[in-house]
Amino acid sequence: MESEVKIKNKKEKFAILEKGDELYSCSRCGTCLAYCPIYKQTLDESLAPRGKMSLLEAISKGKIEYSDKISEKLFTCTACNICTSECPSGVKLDEMISTAKSDLIDAHKYPQVLDILKERIKKAYNVTFDSNTGRLDWAAQLPEGEPEKYVKAKAEVVYFVGCVSSFSPRSFGIPRSIVQDFDSAKVDYTLLGEEEWCCGFPLINSGIKDVVGDLAKHNIDAVKSKGAKLLVLSCPSCYHTWKHEYPKYLSEKVDFEILHISQYLLRLIKEGKIKLGPLSGKITYHDPCDLGRNSGIYAEPRDVIKSIPGIDFIDMAANRKLANCCGGGGNLESVNQALASKIALAKADEIIETGADIVVTSCQQCNRTIDASLKKKKKETNAKVKVIDLPELVLQSIQSEKL
Amino acid sequence: MDKNYTAELEQIVNPENVITSFEERLTYSYDSTRLEYMPDVVVKVKTAEQISRIMKLANEYTIPVTPRGAATGLSGGCLAVEGGISLVMVAMNKIIDINPIDLLATVEAGVITENVSKAVEHLKLFYPPDPGSMKSSTIGGNIAENAGGLRGLKYGVTKDYINSIEVVLPTGEIVNMGTNTVKAVTGYNLVDLMCGSEGTLGIITKATLGLLPVPADRASILAFFKNMTDAAKTVRDIVAEGVITATLEIVDKVTINAIEDFLKIGLDRTVGAMLLIEVDGQKGAVEIEAGIVMKVCRSNSALSVRQAKSAQERDELWSARRAALSSLSRIRPSTILEDATVPRSRIVELVEAVNEIAKKYGMLIGTFGHAGDGNLHPTILTDLRIPEQSKKTERVIEEIFKVTIALGGTLSGEHGIGITKAQYLKLEISKPVYDLMKKIKNSFDPNNILNPGKMKCTWDA
Repeated sequence: MESEVKIKNKKEKFAILEKGDELYSCSRCGTCLAYCPIYKQTLDESLAPRGKMSLLEAISKGKIEYSDKISEKLFTCTACNICTSECPSGVKLDEMISTAKSDLIDAHKYPQVLDILKERIKKAYNVTFDSNTGRLDWAAQLPEGEPEKYVKAKAEVVYFVGCVSSFSPRSFGIPRSIVQDFDSAKVDYTLLGEEEWCCGFPLINSGIKDVVGDLAKHNIDAVKSKGAKLLVLSCPSCYHTWKHEYPKYLSEKVDFEILHISQYLLRLIKEGKIKLGPLSGKITYHDPCDLGRNSGIYAEPRDVIKSIPGIDFIDMAANRKLANCCGGGGNLESVNQALASKIALAKADEIIETGADIVVTSCQQCNRTIDASLKKKKKETNAKVKVIDLPELVLQSIQSEKL
Repeated sequence: MDKNYTAELEQIVNPENVITSFEERLTYSYDSTRLEYMPDVVVKVKTAEQISRIMKLANEYTIPVTPRGAATGLSGGCLAVEGGISLVMVAMNKIIDINPIDLLATVEAGVITENVSKAVEHLKLFYPPDPGSMKSSTIGGNIAENAGGLRGLKYGVTKDYINSIEVVLPTGEIVNMGTNTVKAVTGYNLVDLMCGSEGTLGIITKATLGLLPVPADRASILAFFKNMTDAAKTVRDIVAEGVITATLEIVDKVTINAIEDFLKIGLDRTVGAMLLIEVDGQKGAVEIEAGIVMKVCRSNSALSVRQAKSAQERDELWSARRAALSSLSRIRPSTILEDATVPRSRIVELVEAVNEIAKKYGMLIGTFGHAGDGNLHPTILTDLRIPEQSKKTERVIEEIFKVTIALGGTLSGEHGIGITKAQYLKLEISKPVYDLMKKIKNSFDPNNILNPGKMKCTWDA
């Protein structure tokens, strides 16, 4: 492999070689050091966004080559993208890193776990080792009975559950709440069942782009076959992929609206279809990176929380586009678990500082990471903050209204 | 590189803090000047004792040592221009003590500037120096470069807030300089000598900083003018009216347009200049001063003058000012930021001279800056990768410096000399003074190993 890579570098085939001008626009001002969660925890310039840009520029100029060391640096990233959003010089660091990751895939310099991930998605169309027939296992224990009832031939709304919420038991609460929220609002909806395939986000994030087009085409066709006017997603990364990545892979226009669950819940509340009863407590909200910074959805989840009577809402000091990553992004956990955990603990501190009883998020991954770090903190500080997902909070409020 | 000394460094700071790989060293080769000099080895330190041992080792082997904070500097102060050790201080980031009675905070050198103010916010105190890079820059770097900021007119610069420092001398001794009293006249004022020494005389490891009470009230005023000359006259007249504003910032047409392109906040693109002014102090006093400021603006034919009505509007105005450099930097590939500074009475002439130079060379120059301090940031927008542009840029810089000196000004108000302005030193200081500086350097650092190659200027024989 080594020799092949060298030949490629010489033939100037790597995509990063075309990015010289953009890489030159990084002024090395160091603004990103104040924001990057990786740098803040490691104080390691070679992992800082401007450090990564300097490495890529050196590659683009032929000063150094893609190596395992470069790969390790570039994959040590939560993809939270606060660097791009705060860069005063307007460098699109996300695009640069994504280009480099694709090059690293071509150069066969990437974390081994990616091979397994790609195989799983290609064979079973999901990120787990389970067969895709298990997509509805979470629904088995719902009071309404058979999981199959959630898959209809035609419906106005399709709910795309996402791999993690479909297969990871600790996230089952999210789809279970959502179907109950929908039932209470009498939404005409369906799930895709085993016709729901991984959206492709984990591959895109890793620079693997060859399978994504097939996944996108299948998923779009599956939604179209239901005759749906609206697609609702609860996973921010799935939402981001559908909304912002699929158009890059397919020319085909989607003829249905795409909403994140937070947007759709707010619509149902405003239309009076969901009736909210009182809850009590002080609540803060964590902006998932793919929902907030990467999709611009900040107001809707907050508005949903604030529509619940009896809630005292407080934002964290760093919120909306400045919200800090929970550490769960970018598959960092599979590359550097200890670092992901440090970032998560820093997030827990921010949450505890608000004095809230509950932190609401709108992402199964953030939920899991924050839950783990809050539990660790509980041992140290005795802080008793609980994390719940937005649709679960809404369900609690609906149930309180019925009392 | 000598393997022996790497092994010895590893004994001092543990192997994981000694970095030798080419790729990683590359990420410690730059700062905000965007110049690159490769250190032979990067060493991450945690204590003054470690630095002391490293300096003794460096003297033994004659290895250059260059201290490095967050590397946000604009004159190349932390670049290892002669190779050797890049000494990374960012992990020395503890806030050691806060004393609200004496209005002091004692911090390690790697503490981030903004974090000092954040740490004393709950006591209604603040640390006044606010360089543009305050969210990333370190206190150690600020002291070494004597960093300024937007609030210089009323509150001064870094050197005005350094009471005492702990320093590792180039020869390895750990010493304390200064006192934590309001007054002190015991011995030479070495703290002021260290402040702005650009890391050439010693490595600052700890500092006791002065704090001030947060002003009870403040008001921000925005005024537009037909041209830079009217705006600059206004700056002069405000101070002449007896008002010392907290900030008094000027922004030219090129910069206004760049900011508007970037932020789209509705700035008037047709005007020639704007002033952004903040007054702070006790309630009542602020209103009176704001009134005087607005009157002076109008008497200098301001096209419009308004006071920010809400905290949100005020924050928007200041974020616009803070975005000046970054907005300009989006226009062309290279952004050369100068910080020519003249006495306030000459600011009008400097503004007009910069405009003339821009016209003469057909260069795009955006000018903004701390006009109240006489400190302008003419920012040359160019592409240094093109040789002809690069040459022209050099000539423009030289002309700006020459006119600045002719107006009784200085090469650098707040960024330092380092390597980017070293060759122009002789425009401002005489040979005997330069020789004196060299003697001072030599008495601190006989082997010339601490941050060598900085402020280097040659006089023709």
